[in-house]
Amino acid sequence: MAAEKKHFVCVVCPVGCEIDVVHDGSKIISMEGNKCEKSEEFARQELIEPMRILTTTVRIQGSRWPVIPVRTDKPVPKRLFPRIMRQLRPIKLQAPVNMLDVVVRDVLHTGANVVATRTMPRE
Amino acid sequence: MMQVDVAVIGSGPAGLTAAIQAHKSGARKVLLLEREEELGGILKQCIHNGFGLEQFKQNYTGPEYAERLIKELEKTGVQCFLNTLVTDLSSDRVITALSPEHGALEITAKSIVLAMGCRERTRSSVGIPGTRPAGIFTAGVVQRFVNIDGYLPGKKIVILGSGDIGLIMARRLTLEGATVIGVYEIMSYPGGLKRNIVQCLNDFDIPLYLSHTVTEIKGKERLEGVVISKVDGNLHPVQGTEELIECDTLLLSVGLIPENELSKKAGIELSPATKGPVTTEIMETSVPGIFACGNVSTVFDLVDYVAQTGTAAGAFAAQYAFGSLSADRQSVDIVAGENVRLLFPQRYGFQDDLVLFIRAAEPVEKPVVIEVTPPGSKVNRVYARPNEMLRVKVPKEKLAEVRQPIRVSIREK
Repeated sequence: MAAEKKHFVCVVCPVGCEIDVVHDGSKIISMEGNKCEKSEEFARQELIEPMRILTTTVRIQGSRWPVIPVRTDKPVPKRLFPRIMRQLRPIKLQAPVNMLDVVVRDVLHTGANVVATRTMPRE
Repeated sequence: MMQVDVAVIGSGPAGLTAAIQAHKSGARKVLLLEREEELGGILKQCIHNGFGLEQFKQNYTGPEYAERLIKELEKTGVQCFLNTLVTDLSSDRVITALSPEHGALEITAKSIVLAMGCRERTRSSVGIPGTRPAGIFTAGVVQRFVNIDGYLPGKKIVILGSGDIGLIMARRLTLEGATVIGVYEIMSYPGGLKRNIVQCLNDFDIPLYLSHTVTEIKGKERLEGVVISKVDGNLHPVQGTEELIECDTLLLSVGLIPENELSKKAGIELSPATKGPVTTEIMETSVPGIFACGNVSTVFDLVDYVAQTGTAAGAFAAQYAFGSLSADRQSVDIVAGENVRLLFPQRYGFQDDLVLFIRAAEPVEKPVVIEVTPPGSKVNRVYARPNEMLRVKVPKEKLAEVRQPIRVSIREK
């Protein structure tokens, strides 16, 4: 594959570097605009498979609030978001839940766990 | 009458950080007052990640960031009153508060930290004509409904304004199965951070329309649609560009205003630009011994910036409580020069390094130099955008001889 240009906005941190990458479909040939090395890794991954942390809520019983916030404990392929959301929909946790308790282990074989992001005491 | 060294009003990131720091700095009796039933403020409903990257080198969600601070607070002897609403504040630092547990309270504090945060601007702030059906919400209210109360407020959603909360909610509502038809922004540039445009809109193919606004609301009981119009360079709707968009929900993400009813009661001078108290670099307001930090002062882009102001406010509020800050202190004004819409703080009091937070008036998409004169400090940046605060630090030593107002400008290089 011939060299192609691609423009990215790095979302690793709030700086939001605008990066221009020249690539051959899988490998980066050159890049400019990034202020740190994290953007390099971001752009490399973005070319192959865009990965993001998913944050959402699941239902919970026996607590002050009916839902509890959760996230994946590492980035997962962005394209799997709808499927992960579907998998989380029927879940109903029981309070108490501690922050970082695992809600779903190895969600959709991504290697990422879905974990609670707050403590929810029993009420 | 209860007596404390430092009283902190509000337990969001600013208040938590200030209370922790006041205790660390040696204040014995620190009291934290929170009107809700839990500590953490708005962080509790900000379930997305990206918090604490600078402060903790961690990519926390809002609740995790709050819980980290709450755990730190629990290790201190800081006393917390929950469900406690402060109803009055006087310039001689007497707080009146109400709580089901403690009844009517009068609290005298040697120093006070204001950390009440901000409020959302509403439909009436932006003056949208039309009927008044159900289905029109501010973005933060919807964030609370979805993330804490577990309600989805609608299925077909239009978002007016491209502030960060609106962008975050565009993604959130899409994930929960709603259709977000588009985000419409009256200005010619987005209001929120660029990373949020990318990861909240672009990632989900949600269109962003700049220079567009809602010019009419349709529907009687429930919202049935909105009329969208293009606007010209003076932000006036252009005739003939009207388009009716069917929707059941309109989210407004049209800005935040510091919440300063208590500040006004205490006679604190407010800045017309930030709508928050005029403060010095140690976060002291125009009333000696009353400090302010976080979004009650000016609306910050990042929680890390909020925490930075909370740390300063807590440390110096403790010093004030000991009496180690002299009563007779000098200060000079800090004034907005070329292409500066607002800046924080607005005064320099010769106690600490000056950390300036600056918002540009107009976007400059080329290298700029930020000038702070006197002392004549120059800092380069690759661009200046109104939606991304600039932060510049000028060391205390450089400012010792300054006697005239400090002017801050953003110029093209």
